[in-house]
Amino acid sequence: MTGLVRSELRKISSTRLWWGLLIGAVLFTALQAGITAGFAGVDPGGGQPPSPPLDTDEAIRSVYVTSAFAGTYIFALILGITGMTGEYRYKTITPTFLVTPRRPRVVIAKMLAHLGFGFGYAVAGLVAAFVVGGIVISLRDFPLGYGADQLWSGAVLATLAVALWTLLGIGIGTLIRNQIAAIMVAVFVTFLVEPIATFALNSIDLDWVVKWLPTNASAALTSPGDAFLDYLDWWVGGLVLIGYAVVLGGLGLLLSVRRDVT
Amino acid sequence: MPVQGHRIDVVGLTKHFGETVALDNLTFSVRPGVVTGFLGPNGAGKTTTLRCLLGLVTPTSGTATIDARHYGDLDQPVKVVGSALEASDFHPGRTARAHLQVLTLGAGIDTARADEVLAQVGLSDAATRRVGGFSLGMRQRLALAQALLGDPPVLILDEPANGLDPAGIAWLRGFLRALAAEGRTILVSSHVLSEVKQTVDDVVVITRGRLVRQGGLAELDRGPTAVLVRTPTPELLRDALAGDRVETLPDGRLRVSGRTPEEIGHLAFTTGVELHELSPEASDLERVFLDLTADATPTGVDR
Repeated sequence: MTGLVRSELRKISSTRLWWGLLIGAVLFTALQAGITAGFAGVDPGGGQPPSPPLDTDEAIRSVYVTSAFAGTYIFALILGITGMTGEYRYKTITPTFLVTPRRPRVVIAKMLAHLGFGFGYAVAGLVAAFVVGGIVISLRDFPLGYGADQLWSGAVLATLAVALWTLLGIGIGTLIRNQIAAIMVAVFVTFLVEPIATFALNSIDLDWVVKWLPTNASAALTSPGDAFLDYLDWWVGGLVLIGYAVVLGGLGLLLSVRRDVT
Repeated sequence: MPVQGHRIDVVGLTKHFGETVALDNLTFSVRPGVVTGFLGPNGAGKTTTLRCLLGLVTPTSGTATIDARHYGDLDQPVKVVGSALEASDFHPGRTARAHLQVLTLGAGIDTARADEVLAQVGLSDAATRRVGGFSLGMRQRLALAQALLGDPPVLILDEPANGLDPAGIAWLRGFLRALAAEGRTILVSSHVLSEVKQTVDDVVVITRGRLVRQGGLAELDRGPTAVLVRTPTPELLRDALAGDRVETLPDGRLRVSGRTPEEIGHLAFTTGVELHELSPEASDLERVFLDLTADATPTGVDR
């Protein structure tokens, strides 16, 4: 298995896609952190309540931790999806399965290798959030707030959450072979279906379902003590994400990976 | 160093893709230590057969085994069977060396082997170039390098001569002969008889997923056994050839067995018979192949 994981790591590092996604993640995170820090505590007008000001623990956590997750996870997800579907797109799945005819082993090796890259993305995202967020906080003459409650534990959990989204990506790619379709479905579900479902289920008092959705399960790791939604415990949230990846990957193994490679 | 070859057995192999019958109860075997040509027109089912043999496609029924074992049951398959299926199975953004290193890591082979096989197929200079910029001929060589990674006793090559220029085909011929001389079992598919004729010892010919011929090239490709003659006065020639086996073909030509073109030409000259055509008949294998490609409106899918 060690060799297989190294093979998968080499697959990722030997093309340029991971660089592009990493740059995207860092830029997007920097933007998120900058905007969050820039507008924290500012009255948005129109009778909306302002977000917590920068001298609160909550605001500091959202600048550094929530931004790092929010700016990075979608890129980690896409890295995972392409890690699997790229093999079908470029037909490299043929040599891959010739080397390793026991196909489930390939999927497991991919999950482990991408988990490693996911951690790397998360760390890069955190660095971007701390640098850009810190600069904006300083410009607004607030203290950097490194002593905020649950800041560092939140950073560690956010790293874990980002990495787990690569697993989710492998799971989706295992089930849906077509790269474009897999990415479209993933983005559609994450950015459209989930928020609408969260809103709709909340409004009919089914919020106990809402917290099990993937993005909200991630929020259990990245937003400790959020007042708006009742999130799962952080470790349950992590297990839920792993569960989604395992179920999707398992379905993929049953329905898709076993199919003929022509 | 001599290598112990392995035998390949395909027994009753059948594969349906939906309504399409790609393979229909196909049975043949490949001897160890020789080059076997796997021939048939496009869409005959060659690629499907090879993919079944390599565990990539699950047959509807029947078996395809290497030394009585399924590919998926081999402990280190790449060290037993090397295969080059299509010259397109590469990521265009990956370098040739990286492509091979990915496979060596997965197969537990020393990564230095990547550069060795690149040198073996003459691609050392292109090792650090992205495959996206490779010509078809270079991709074929890279596919071959991939097949050689595990130094396997069995090589399975699907249309390796496709896209090669005449010099490339000559190179491939010498390359395969050298590998076979080391005792390896080589199964090489082609839809062009002349491409492999000088390389193979045995042939297996299939069409529409069924076996047409199997045997040694020497037996199937014997020299011409008959001469075809076209003349406006076939009766006069028949009389002159009295005693010889002569048959009239549907197109009016005469098929004469047991005589050389020179003898018939001389006879016609001395008896004053006018000749419009005098040609040696194609060998059995060539005729089989011509017939196949002539009526080949392929129903199968070549994959």
